[in-house]
Amino acid sequence: MLATVDSCVLAGLEARRVEVQADSANGETKFLLVGLAATSVKEARERVRSAIKNCGLHFPSRRLTVNLAPAEMRKEGSGLDLPIAVAIALAETGGRAPARSAFLGELALDGAVRHVDGVLVAARCLKKAGFDRVFVPAADAGEAALIEGLEVIPCVHLAEVVAHLAGRAAIAPQPFTDVSFDSTASQPEHDLVEVHGQEEARRAIEVAAAGGHHLLLSGPPGSGKTMLARCLPGILPPLELDEAFEVAQVKSLLGDLSPGRPLDWIRPFRAPHHGVSMAGLIGGGSGFALPGEISRAHHGVLFLDELAEFQASVLQALRQPLENGRVTITRSGGSVTYPARFTLVAATNPCPCGWLGDPVRTCRCTPAVIDAYHRRLSGPLLDRIDLKVGVRRVPLAELAGEPRGEASAPVRERIQAARRRQLDRQGCLNAQLKPGRLRQLPALEPGSRRTLERWSEQKGLTARGFHRAWRVARTAADLEGAELVGDRHVLEALGYRLQDVAA
Amino acid sequence: MSPPDLSALNARGRWPLPDGPRVAIVGSRRPSPYGEAVAEQLAADLARAGVIVVSGLALGCDAAAHRGALVGGGVTVAVMGTGVDIVYPAAHFRLAEEILAAGGALVSQFPNGTAPRRHNFPARNLTIAALSDVVVVVEAVQGSGALITAEAALELHKEVMAVPGSIFSPLSVGTHALIRDGAGLVQNARDVLAAAGVGREVLDDPLAAPRRLGFGLPPERDGILIHLSDVLAVSAAELARKLHLPVAEVLGRLTSLELDGAVRRHGPGYVRALRRGKERA
Repeated sequence: MLATVDSCVLAGLEARRVEVQADSANGETKFLLVGLAATSVKEARERVRSAIKNCGLHFPSRRLTVNLAPAEMRKEGSGLDLPIAVAIALAETGGRAPARSAFLGELALDGAVRHVDGVLVAARCLKKAGFDRVFVPAADAGEAALIEGLEVIPCVHLAEVVAHLAGRAAIAPQPFTDVSFDSTASQPEHDLVEVHGQEEARRAIEVAAAGGHHLLLSGPPGSGKTMLARCLPGILPPLELDEAFEVAQVKSLLGDLSPGRPLDWIRPFRAPHHGVSMAGLIGGGSGFALPGEISRAHHGVLFLDELAEFQASVLQALRQPLENGRVTITRSGGSVTYPARFTLVAATNPCPCGWLGDPVRTCRCTPAVIDAYHRRLSGPLLDRIDLKVGVRRVPLAELAGEPRGEASAPVRERIQAARRRQLDRQGCLNAQLKPGRLRQLPALEPGSRRTLERWSEQKGLTARGFHRAWRVARTAADLEGAELVGDRHVLEALGYRLQDVAA
Repeated sequence: MSPPDLSALNARGRWPLPDGPRVAIVGSRRPSPYGEAVAEQLAADLARAGVIVVSGLALGCDAAAHRGALVGGGVTVAVMGTGVDIVYPAAHFRLAEEILAAGGALVSQFPNGTAPRRHNFPARNLTIAALSDVVVVVEAVQGSGALITAEAALELHKEVMAVPGSIFSPLSVGTHALIRDGAGLVQNARDVLAAAGVGREVLDDPLAAPRRLGFGLPPERDGILIHLSDVLAVSAAELARKLHLPVAEVLGRLTSLELDGAVRRHGPGYVRALRRGKERA
């Protein structure tokens, strides 16, 4: 008998449909699995055989052939266990799988259905491809049920699935996961009220958050760079629904979604260590590349502490995503594109020992060493960072006397208002404005334009630097609610642009 | 350490030197903007009075002194801690060429091909003292190489002078200690010329100096400038607090002043620029 069951394999954020055909025929007892299966799929034979036997089902003692079509596409992952087992069971009993239904899940030897990564992505793509129903591991049913109009059958055990298909005991479908906004669920870790003094850096963070601009904090150890950066998630507005969905899909691919609350509203904050590899930061792996830290930080913040300690090649690879908000990685399985529209917040010491420019402690670095340290940072990467600001160390004795700043909540309100203004006007944040679009905005007072041009020339800004300063000025104006970009906005923007890294 | 044998020095350029008083101007490799301006101004004024300016071709005060001497149209000598064929730091290659072109010299007690070695520089400092009639220390933290030069000068019975600075500046701790121990106080080039025994020339009125250093600023901006020092950097945040203005506004106004050349960034803060509009690398 022949049975066919639908499933899919993942290729980045896309799922490719796979037809699992099982045929048992007369002949010597054998279990053949064909159709360009990678090792993880080939191993399905052993899991499936045990699972079927341990469910009290009969495993055919005939010549059994399982074909994974289309045959020229390489298949990876353990998600095909369940559809293979179901196809074999159906071929044995002569049953048929329900129409427009797909199966996904890994099997344990006792027949339990185990979690697989990327169920949300698979569910979205299957729905788009015209499927009405998916059978997924019960652990992942919550994320699959985020997709509207898709019936999700949570599978706990192979025996139950077979019984359900035979019409003996129906499994209740998973209710649609509630995606209503829940603001109490996520409390940010740090609040700006804990930051004493540091008015310049606070302002820079506010501008960065309001316009989506990249930011470099430079200052001696213990000056509060990390603290400031960690305040960012708390002043960013919560994710929009479609943004939360994109974030959840990346997490789903990595098996990172929490089953109870698959949709998170707080913006991601990723802080990879400076020893991170290229594959870890940008994305990689064999077959199809998995998303890296920059994609995990999508719609959120990527914080790179000790920027100069990162491998130069890793930093170079940041350039493409910084410019266009996504990254394309090619591996043996093919090339995939992941979203990577993050706000980069980098922190660096002014010199290797950290004390250059400190009012109290003396820097012990030789000029040549400092030069080499800055060379690692300089050039194309720094040119893409809009805001550079020096952070000073506040001596412990004075810390208590420093004025307490505003708390995160009022700052977040200002940022939200500024962001709304940008989205209403141009549909994206200022940092993502293309130069052509930037020029169309009736937004620069004639005098300010001259100021910008004059100083850009004097200070040798690149064309990119010129436009970036303009965008930051636009954000400063938006924070103020000003229609036109004035001189003061341009000067503030240039002030951040021209800050020396050795500060 | 014994004084070096001046007749055995290797040299490029005009050597032996023409007659005339020789003044060494030395100081920190990482001076404040004030120290850098003083070194340059002093060297320029001394060069105009016919003094040969001696220094060590190092970063900071040394380079400023050589540059000032060239601006004043004088002859200047760089005493090097490497062979005369190796310019260290390499960034001063052009400065070295300019010194030679202006009729000065690069000299060294080390054979050609000697690479920069930490232990060679104190010996070089001795040579600076030995070559000069007066040694002026501009800015020096405690334990600075410039203080070695001053000590060597004392042992060789040369005149030692020092430039005062702010009592808050660590860069003036060394110079203030020298003054306390009896070094001559330098307020302008005349003080140095008097010590060198060429006090006839009247160069300028010390009270007129600030104008030449370039503070003729539009009055409405003084609101910010009077709060800035020329030695110690003040951050935009501190200024904003003093002036009761939003930090964004202060940052913009500082940038405007910076672009006009009236203010310079120094580390994470701002200082008054002592010369207008002449940005140096």
